[in-house]
Amino acid sequence: MENQDTAVKAPPRPDASKTTLPQPGRPVPSRAYPGALIVVEGTDGSGKSTQLYLLKRWLEIGGYRLHFTEWNSSPLVKSATRRGKQKRLLTPTTFSLLHAADFADRCERQIMPLLQGDYLVLADRYIYTAFARDAARGCSHRWLRNLYRFAPVPDITFYFRAPLEVAVDRILSGRPKLKYYEAGMDLGLSYERPESFKLFQARILEEYDKMVDTDNFVVLDGTLPVNKLQKQMRDIVASKIDLKRFAPRAPCRKMLPSPRPPIPKPVTLFSANRLWASTLRS
Amino acid sequence: MGLNPQELNGSLIVIEGMDGSGRSTQIALLQEWLESEGFSVQTSGLRRSNLVGRDIDELLAKNAVTRLTLALMYATDFFDQLEHRIVPALRSGALVLADRFIFTLIARGVVRGINRDYLTGLYAMALRPHLTFWLNVRPETAFAREFKKAQAISYWEAGRDMSLSHDLYWSFVRYQTMIKRELESMAKKNAFIELDGEASVSAVNKQLRQRIGEQLGIRASKYTPSSALAHLWR
Repeated sequence: MENQDTAVKAPPRPDASKTTLPQPGRPVPSRAYPGALIVVEGTDGSGKSTQLYLLKRWLEIGGYRLHFTEWNSSPLVKSATRRGKQKRLLTPTTFSLLHAADFADRCERQIMPLLQGDYLVLADRYIYTAFARDAARGCSHRWLRNLYRFAPVPDITFYFRAPLEVAVDRILSGRPKLKYYEAGMDLGLSYERPESFKLFQARILEEYDKMVDTDNFVVLDGTLPVNKLQKQMRDIVASKIDLKRFAPRAPCRKMLPSPRPPIPKPVTLFSANRLWASTLRS
Repeated sequence: MGLNPQELNGSLIVIEGMDGSGRSTQIALLQEWLESEGFSVQTSGLRRSNLVGRDIDELLAKNAVTRLTLALMYATDFFDQLEHRIVPALRSGALVLADRFIFTLIARGVVRGINRDYLTGLYAMALRPHLTFWLNVRPETAFAREFKKAQAISYWEAGRDMSLSHDLYWSFVRYQTMIKRELESMAKKNAFIELDGEASVSAVNKQLRQRIGEQLGIRASKYTPSSALAHLWR
């Protein structure tokens, strides 16, 4: 845990209760919650999940308050997604909407409450996965950006970039058979699944690359050795996020600070971030 | 979706209105009338998609869902029907009778505090209906009709998730009034044809047949329902 002590301290965050109201002449702060959000993105086989797992272990061992969340993990829409995939009912629009519903559920139940409760949230894939994959399927960029505008903007977005051949090889060698939608067969790019998968992944990679500047991705080379990559990742996290905030707290002696604590004002999903506005400007 | 409206030969006719405004009664009657006039009719409505219709029913029954997630599940349900039912039907020249459309879905979201622009952006690529009827009734009348139907008012009809009142009646009235205001604000921009839902079934039906007849270029001939639907004719 040496990194944590030598870390450059990030500038102090705005106090949540004071910054929710926009003030004339001053830019509206991008965040209105005390927690922090770290996201990993990249094509299949880019090594991002392994790296996030190692980061999570590092923080867990240090005893930090954190929550780990995955793309497409809620039981809510599982049956619908399974049915849609089996019967091949999904169009680009409904595919995108189902995943958005799933994400909204996670966002409303876990991500936002935990960010407001001062947690460090780690997400394996985030809205950028939807932006890249659904745009590759032909959904309009503008529609997609609007669809996810309730999502809080990450503090760090790591983008694991691996050349197409490397990523495709990693997946094709590890899996006996590609699934229909996974291979992008619904796009009609090729009759052969591996070939279709390759073409689909190329489109996704292109979409990801377009977001590097607009969405402030931290680009990491997915072909580096695992431990080297992890070292880079930990250094960046320690320098960009004030990890001490999430360190274990001393037990609280007094239950409540005053006999009648004020009831805090909530921050809503749509007031919490300015992702949509920044998209419109660019 | 890359849809060219020129390709669509059929007409999309939407009937909006709160629970208990008589929508489903009118749609059943209109379907019979139109079929007797020789038109092919397809219907659509909320929670009727093959993809997620049943899942939404389950979510509602378990009451285990947050507002944004529910709104997006309804959007999925809508677009599945649009792409798999409504557009193919219109392309084949059929007439589509929609029991509610994006307007109710937007209104429901807005009254629950979901950003209005967000919702209109979400449904931006939905089709524009040829005719949109709005059966306007007072919430008090709607309450009486709904109660008579099932001897109960459901949790969602009364908007109980919004914590408006612990009293079921007031919760229903306040919730439906909020929805009604939202629809009112959309009425002008979307060229709603407002009909008095308090009038008798036959009077409302006559007005509907007249406007639809104009749209289709047929004469709104005399119509009396068959024995199967006679019980609706009050």
